Amino acid sequence: MKRLKRFGSLILELLRELSDENAYRRHLAAHGRTHSRQEWQKFSNARLLARYVRPKCC
Amino acid sequence: MKTIFGRLLWAAVAVAAAFCLAGIAVTRGEPINSLWLVLAAALTYLLGFRFYARFIAAKVMALDNDRATPAERLRNGHDFEPTNKWILFGHHFAAIAGPGPLVGPVLAAQFGYLPGTLWIIIGAVLGGAVQDFVILFCSMRRDGKSLGQMAREEIGKVGGFTALLTVLLIMVILLAVIALVVVNALKGSPWGTFTIAATMPIAIFMGLYLRYWRPGKVLEVSVIGFLLVVAAIFGGQTVAQSATLAPIFTLSGVALALAVIIYGFFASALPVWLLLAPRDYLSTFVKLGVVLMLAIGIVLVRPQLQLPAFTRFVDGTGPIFAGKIFPFCFITIACGAISGFHSLISSGTTPKMIGKEWHAWPVGYGSMCLESFVAIMAMIAACALQPGVYFAVNSPAGVVGTTPEAAVATISSWGFPVTAGEMTELAHDVGENTLYYRTGGAPSLALGMAHIFAKTGGGRMVLGFWYHFAIMFEALFILTIIDAGTRVGRFMLQDWLGHLWKPLGRTSWMPGVILTSAAIVMAWGYFLYQGVQDPLGGINSLWPLFGISNQLLAAVALCVATTILVKMHRARYMWITCIPLVWLVIVTFTAGYQKLFSPIPRVGFLARAAQLQAALDAGQVAAAKVAEQQRLIFNERLDAVVCGVFLVLVTTILVDSIRVWVGILRGTREARVTETPFVLSRLRPEEI
Repeated sequence: MKRLKRFGSLILELLRELSDENAYRRHLAAHGRTHSRQEWQKFSNARLLARYVRPKCC
Repeated sequence: MKTIFGRLLWAAVAVAAAFCLAGIAVTRGEPINSLWLVLAAALTYLLGFRFYARFIAAKVMALDNDRATPAERLRNGHDFEPTNKWILFGHHFAAIAGPGPLVGPVLAAQFGYLPGTLWIIIGAVLGGAVQDFVILFCSMRRDGKSLGQMAREEIGKVGGFTALLTVLLIMVILLAVIALVVVNALKGSPWGTFTIAATMPIAIFMGLYLRYWRPGKVLEVSVIGFLLVVAAIFGGQTVAQSATLAPIFTLSGVALALAVIIYGFFASALPVWLLLAPRDYLSTFVKLGVVLMLAIGIVLVRPQLQLPAFTRFVDGTGPIFAGKIFPFCFITIACGAISGFHSLISSGTTPKMIGKEWHAWPVGYGSMCLESFVAIMAMIAACALQPGVYFAVNSPAGVVGTTPEAAVATISSWGFPVTAGEMTELAHDVGENTLYYRTGGAPSLALGMAHIFAKTGGGRMVLGFWYHFAIMFEALFILTIIDAGTRVGRFMLQDWLGHLWKPLGRTSWMPGVILTSAAIVMAWGYFLYQGVQDPLGGINSLWPLFGISNQLLAAVALCVATTILVKMHRARYMWITCIPLVWLVIVTFTAGYQKLFSPIPRVGFLARAAQLQAALDAGQVAAAKVAEQQRLIFNERLDAVVCGVFLVLVTTILVDSIRVWVGILRGTREARVTETPFVLSRLRPEEI
């Protein structure tokens, strides 16, 4: 049961990583800021700008 | 005791892998169960991962967990962040998995299930996974530098520029060919066209939701987006059955190609948060979910492979694409065995997120094994179809005949019986008007997947839903690649044009954005239009061109990797990268030469141009068709030029690399290692 729980939390963490939600949390913690629409937009703009200068894989 | 048990266990795995591989290799004349392929692949990957990759990690790369990675040294909470290895494994896999490992094996199944399957398994273990792993290691030791940067620093300016130019050209061909796959899947299909069209407003809704209404709730909006897409699939069925709406969404190949070209232009110029990013999130989750569903489906259903181990088309007369098993099987399946594009991902985000050096082992090598497994599943889905159906769906009208009667007669004469009635019934079951001439691989893959999913529950009643679900899944991430690829091409072009006139280099200057977006869209759009108009189905010309270019990019990556190994004084292990490199050079140059100079018109671009020209000169072309004929001749010559340019570019980088290797090995050149100096890691295990 413990292992199943651990596996479940790993999957959830993977989904959060893929969705940038973890990166956003890290961003807030690193800069000592709180969540707001403006903060998300600022984070998202920088994140997406960096991501889409690289081609996506075929 | 534990060691003895471990050795016995691995010996058992090796025996079982050999047994399964022998089983699929020697069975002839009767259908075999797909589980043989699944087991042969999974066990071989395990062996490759445990022994070969571990040997490379320990002896060649000398991975060291005491050495701080860029993620630890440059930690900034954004790009550089030590990440749990299994989360990073999933992240990297999601980044490398695209349409390639799904479509390539489906097309190569025209040779039978055996050649493609063996190439997927062996190619991945000895080539693709090695390339991904070594490039990931090289980039990780260089603060996450890109392949282009490493090529410039390790080989020289010529090598670096050549690598960048190669990437841009490959992207143009890639975007054209995957757009063609979507166009061929949607032409004459109101259900499919409506569903895919609906994903655009859904993605825009998701973008606005995320930007203004619930900022940061990506998982939440992705669940909403997924439910809306499923609703759109059901909506598509209603549209297809409506006498008013169905004609609106029933588009020809040319109309769809124009729609995709216009879409590509606007999507690449729009802010990324509005359309591209939300759909990218959604397509990533759908992709992972569908891969998992397909794996479960195959294990539950255990379909029999209907296609034989080898078909008569190993002789090069295949209807889907022309060319003999060697070299064309090995360039048709790129992404499932070895893909140059992966080297761009392995030198992208992933090296900046590795917490401990040994994590590169499962992330780099392991992820590629999983991608290869996806290719095996695609092969199973295609080969589980009735062979006659498989060829009827994938063959162009120019080869099998322009009427259903002619098509089934031709295909049946090859020894793959199929009737017009069976095809009509199947089309009806999946909610399509027709399934003939759906070249490109996506529809036959969707059919195979739909059969597997339907057999787990629901039967023929749900075949239509699963078929369109699979089409939606493929189109969703293909359109995302088109958006992102056009944008990246635009950035590269702006970067170069900025040297000529500075304003053109500014990514915020709208005239520059419009001009460069239009240039990139026109470049891939031209090849797409050419593919749609091609009487041989387009795939016959474009997919080999894409395969050659993708494998040539892998050769570039392996040149960079070998150069770094030589500079690290690991020349005695050069064979690790040189084996796949030599194989790729042989395969791609043979394929390139044949595509250029083969006297068989369906194979050689120049021979086909000459054949068309001869018909024109002899007055065998109707006056109304002269312009079209001239365009076809021009297209064949253009394809020949593109193919030649690829070969020249890679020859340049290969010669440049060999010059560096020889210089270092002879001692006439300094082996300057550019990796970052050793810093002791202070990262605690609980932090990752």
